[in-house]
Amino acid sequence: MVRLVFLGKFGDLAPPSLAQVALPREVKTLADLKSWIGRAEPGLGRAMENTPARLVLNQCVALDLSHAVSDGDEVAFLPPMSGG
Amino acid sequence: MAVRIALEPFDPQAETARFAAGRDDAGALVSFVGLCRAATGGAAVEELRIDHYPGFTEKEIARLTEETARRFDCPDLLVVHRVGRIEPGEAIVLVAALSVHRANAFEAVKVLMDYLKTDAPLWKKESGPDGARWIEPRAEDHTRRRQAEKDMA
Repeated sequence: MVRLVFLGKFGDLAPPSLAQVALPREVKTLADLKSWIGRAEPGLGRAMENTPARLVLNQCVALDLSHAVSDGDEVAFLPPMSGG
Repeated sequence: MAVRIALEPFDPQAETARFAAGRDDAGALVSFVGLCRAATGGAAVEELRIDHYPGFTEKEIARLTEETARRFDCPDLLVVHRVGRIEPGEAIVLVAALSVHRANAFEAVKVLMDYLKTDAPLWKKESGPDGARWIEPRAEDHTRRRQAEKDMA
């Protein structure tokens, strides 16, 4: 299982069923995971295409989407930030 | 360095007093408090909600804080940032800096606030009579952030 965290406006579009998912066989990398989410939830997929999304793997920023995803990982999807 | 995510309202003056208590290594203390406005761009704000990513948010703000302290030679910096539901008039963020002389403390607070606007993993949602909307950094926030990077180079 992989834990998925959707922050900010992505959180509004992600159904609770996406919080924890069994990794589909075809998902090997972060890029695969992002595409799979886009197919499963087209509204969320569009939002992640239209907004620069940063990915965080196990609490570390993932700049390379070819990074492997494995069972037990936590992947977070971050829209542009707005603190302060 | 101290970074705290506050789930409940906090008292900026009490936090600042605690931060500076007993410090005789600094000649300047500068603090900034960001407050929740009752209106933005002419539209009423009934409530602000700020989301964070527990663990990662604290780690990233600590990284930005340490970078700022190194750059401006501050012996200590404090960041307290609210998350959750915030009402107009409540404090959203407190940034305080101690330094030997005032110029560095002023600069450190300004630059750290610029970082927080664009680089801290926090997401603001404003709600009012016309509905709710997620806030994204303004062009001027990015400009200030780029300028800070240039100044550092």
